[in-house]
Amino acid sequence: MNEQATLKSKEDMTQDDIRNFEIRDYLRLDLFPHFMCPGCGHGIALRALLWAIHAQGIDKDKLAIVSGIGCSGRVGTYIDANTYHTTHGRPLAFATGLKMARPDLHVVVITGDGDCLAIGGNHLIHAARRNLDITCLMLNNEIYGMTGGQVSPTTPADRFTTTTPAGNMEPVFDACRLAEAAGAGYVGREVTIHLPRLRDIIAEGLAYKGFSFIEVMSDCTEVNGRKNDLGSSPEMVLGQTRAMRPSEYDNNVVDHPFRPNSMNTGVLVRSNRPEYGTSYRNMVDKVQALQQKGQK
Amino acid sequence: MTKINKVMKATTQPAVRTAVEKLNPDTAKEPINVLIVGVGGQGVIMVSKVLAQICQNLGYQVKQSEVHGMAKRGGVVFSHVRFGQNVWSPTIPMGKADVLIALEWAEGLRWMNYLRPDTGIFIADTKRIVPPFACRSRILGADIGYSKNTPSDVREKVAEAFAIDATEMATKAGNERAANTLLLGALSTTLSFPDDEWKNVIGKMVPPKTIEVNLAVFDKGQVWINRSRKGEPVEGGAFVPLVQPEINSVRTELSITPEWCKGCDICVKMCPERCLVLNKDQVAELAEPEKCTGCHICEWLCPDFAISLKPIHQEAVA
Repeated sequence: MNEQATLKSKEDMTQDDIRNFEIRDYLRLDLFPHFMCPGCGHGIALRALLWAIHAQGIDKDKLAIVSGIGCSGRVGTYIDANTYHTTHGRPLAFATGLKMARPDLHVVVITGDGDCLAIGGNHLIHAARRNLDITCLMLNNEIYGMTGGQVSPTTPADRFTTTTPAGNMEPVFDACRLAEAAGAGYVGREVTIHLPRLRDIIAEGLAYKGFSFIEVMSDCTEVNGRKNDLGSSPEMVLGQTRAMRPSEYDNNVVDHPFRPNSMNTGVLVRSNRPEYGTSYRNMVDKVQALQQKGQK
Repeated sequence: MTKINKVMKATTQPAVRTAVEKLNPDTAKEPINVLIVGVGGQGVIMVSKVLAQICQNLGYQVKQSEVHGMAKRGGVVFSHVRFGQNVWSPTIPMGKADVLIALEWAEGLRWMNYLRPDTGIFIADTKRIVPPFACRSRILGADIGYSKNTPSDVREKVAEAFAIDATEMATKAGNERAANTLLLGALSTTLSFPDDEWKNVIGKMVPPKTIEVNLAVFDKGQVWINRSRKGEPVEGGAFVPLVQPEINSVRTELSITPEWCKGCDICVKMCPERCLVLNKDQVAELAEPEKCTGCHICEWLCPDFAISLKPIHQEAVA
């Protein structure tokens, strides 16, 4: 089995890699228009992912997209590559098996905040712990959109949802810190309005050898936005930058249990931990050598 | 900027006028007016201070008035210097300046109506400082809104015109910032003051480390004017009009797939040029195609992939 080709680092990517990007080459055009609501940020996130794949020059036949359930799960359906629509919360588990069996594939997981942090929270922390070479794109729209707008682990304080009619009172996950603490080698976060930056973060995550976790701050305009008076689609997109205040992030310690609408963006972690697939194959070689020794 | 400056390499000779009378405040009936213009940071005030100091040393009445406060670096700076037996007003009336010294090409053109139409002498550095608002058009490869006038255009409008590439010459002499002293040297050829007095005052005005360079370029300026008056070949010379820099001028064509558009309004509100609208079916439409600069923002932020921008070659447009 061939090892996958090394991808380009951010410095090696030229303007020509980034330009000449035609998104329709990467889409299943017969499924369009897609099912997502008007103004949904997942479409922008999908463009960023496909653009990063284009910039890295990844062959569509060598690309495997694994997605779970929810609005984010449906995003994978529209990509003209090897796509795998799995059970709720388990895309990382499926992807782990896929990557172990086929290390030559570029495995990208598209998952949502509920899919990844609630139903599949256990899979996330273990995938991060192993540091297997998977790129995990978590599209965080802060709500369960497809099932009608229930509260999710990332819904900010006092937001109205169908299950929190008087406002949300649950503390939230900071998914990037969770992934970092669990051991993910590469962690990044970006809002969809900064598309070129999001593309660069994803492209770097694709090239990273190890578990790269990228949180995309997306908008749910129809369910979250309408219920909470967050404005029209353009207002929500423009509001993304206002909601991110990096300077306040580090001061936000235990006494602030809710997401304070201040999270820093960019590449948050870039570590040098050993990759699980490599360690695993080394172990296999070691065991096989021991076996051969024993047979003699 | 350097790329633009390199374009000017032509050998047009300035106007030839053999019989030159130097301006002498002793014999002149009216005060002699020298207008110095340029861009903030170039040394306009220094030039006018040197001139005013010399006049004062020689015992004439001098009045100098300047506008520089709002200019910062890069803004318009001008300085009026009037000297003679009796000077009443500190500002030069329009059409009464005997000499116009311009440290920047477009500034020189801007103030040309202050020159005496019959005898005014125009001395300008061909240095071009293109202000940001001249590059206002966001269309890739758009023309720059900077003067396209050449020295030969200027020569038809004034009695005597000199276009010196002073900045280039001063850079060769060792300090780009000495370009204003080079123009002082050029100015000194039009006035009746002794050379020693000029050099003396310059030596006192400039920073001690740069005295040598400044005196060297002062001589260069004098030589340049004297030689070009005689029609002899001179260093630098005039330039060709400003052309837009060599860039891959790319025009783009915006196309919208109406069936995919869900009317989320993001492209309409995010377009910096406001060239998109939602039509009566709540579908995005390019209302003003000529305004589109091809910035890609609508394409990038369209969640439905309904907008696509494709580059088209200039030949195809024409």
